[in-house]
Amino acid sequence: MIRRLFIAMGFIFFSALTFTLPSFAGHLEPFKEAPVPKENPQTGNKIELGKQLFFDRRLSGDGTMSCATCHNPERAFTDGLDISLSYPTTRNWRNSPTLINVALQKFLFHDGRVRTLEDQALFPMMSAFEMNQNLDFLEEELTAVPEYVRSFKKVFGGEITRKRIAMALASFQRTLSSKNAPIDGYLRGNKGVLSVRAQRGFALFTGKGRCTECHHGVSLSDHKFHALHVPDNPALKNDPRVIATARFVAKVYHYEDYRNLNEDPGRYLITKDKKDWKAFRTPTLREVSRTAPYMQNGVFNTLEEVIDFFNKGGGKGNKALKPLHLGAGEKADLKAFLVEALAGEEVLVKHPALP
Amino acid sequence: MGAGPAVKKIRKTYAGKIRLIIKNYPYRYRDYAFGAAAASLAARDQGKYWEMHDLLIERSPKLDRQSLVSYARELGLNVNRFIRAMDGKKIGKAIKKDLKLAVKMDLYNTPTFFINGRKVVGNRPYEYLTKIIDEELKRTGK
Repeated sequence: MIRRLFIAMGFIFFSALTFTLPSFAGHLEPFKEAPVPKENPQTGNKIELGKQLFFDRRLSGDGTMSCATCHNPERAFTDGLDISLSYPTTRNWRNSPTLINVALQKFLFHDGRVRTLEDQALFPMMSAFEMNQNLDFLEEELTAVPEYVRSFKKVFGGEITRKRIAMALASFQRTLSSKNAPIDGYLRGNKGVLSVRAQRGFALFTGKGRCTECHHGVSLSDHKFHALHVPDNPALKNDPRVIATARFVAKVYHYEDYRNLNEDPGRYLITKDKKDWKAFRTPTLREVSRTAPYMQNGVFNTLEEVIDFFNKGGGKGNKALKPLHLGAGEKADLKAFLVEALAGEEVLVKHPALP
Repeated sequence: MGAGPAVKKIRKTYAGKIRLIIKNYPYRYRDYAFGAAAASLAARDQGKYWEMHDLLIERSPKLDRQSLVSYARELGLNVNRFIRAMDGKKIGKAIKKDLKLAVKMDLYNTPTFFINGRKVVGNRPYEYLTKIIDEELKRTGK
């Protein structure tokens, strides 16, 4: 039986898979927790409060969206869509990235506009095409809920402020780590945790496939930005809502010719550095088998498509990648590694009771 | 576009195997959403639900009352009957009942699908939905 709810619309965010690139190849490292900032120590009550806020639709202007709408725990903290869900009547332009292991990321958002979860948290709330909430209003809306007033007093010793909302959300998100992935055991010397095929995939990942040039370290990311010229997502073409979103973001970031913008300039919007034109953050590859569709515009539905893209040397005119010349068997081995080795223990988060 | 094309294709592919139930969820901050939902049900009463549905999506946001009536005329409906149904208590009550159900089920995003109880939020491509339908048909031995 299909039951469909009608009218309105909704869509948020993004994700990019990168492999090669010039310079050095790094090493993979087993999982270790990211450091917690001194200014925002983890406490049980704060994490619980952050969890409540994460699931609370009050954080959106019209009360239809919570953080969990686009970062759904049942879908590896993504929404499983090519282009993320968005505020009703608007449309997003990027894919919703997973929040699993987000604490390991040194840059947040596909364009890396912020570096801490505390700085990140308020952006989607304020974004016209995401949660579209007014923060002055939100502070008052939450302050009208006695349970929240008590919780903030208990956790922060004071009233509800946007800064504290962001701190609580950041604390909760720091708990979303997927430990004990097979790759962690393998890197610690337990070779038997990977099948022979996945072991061959590992050799390709670190060798001929040149994946570790960008995907290395604990998070399997170089925390840099690369212009791979990923194909356009046809679903975004000629949609006036998407054009409005692109121009709105460009305008906010003081891109002079925003009225003529019809594509996603990526990192360039933040740095205005030519080399960053259409460059996007290297995402983590941990949990990659659970976080389709892929790339910042969700244009690839499967890992096979992603591997093919890199095997062919990336998108038209890119200077970052070169063809890898992997055969069909090698591509299958590489996929086996990505699927088998990089998924850790499931992050289980239940919808909390909300005040 | 909405979810219409994928849903229609699914109805063809799985004819006789699935049952489609549509519930309305007019967005509360859109002036014309309720009227548009009512128009689709009034057209349904004359056997032209999908035709009206497609026209509403195509012409959105032009969904004021006058436009809705002109769409009914365009589709060859009995306009007086259409207006009576659209304004009538029966359809208004039905839509309010759907809204109440959505609130009870904690649903706030459209479209939301339930495929044998499996919840899918947001518009999805045909292949995404058929994968779940196939799994459910297999699971229930159909």
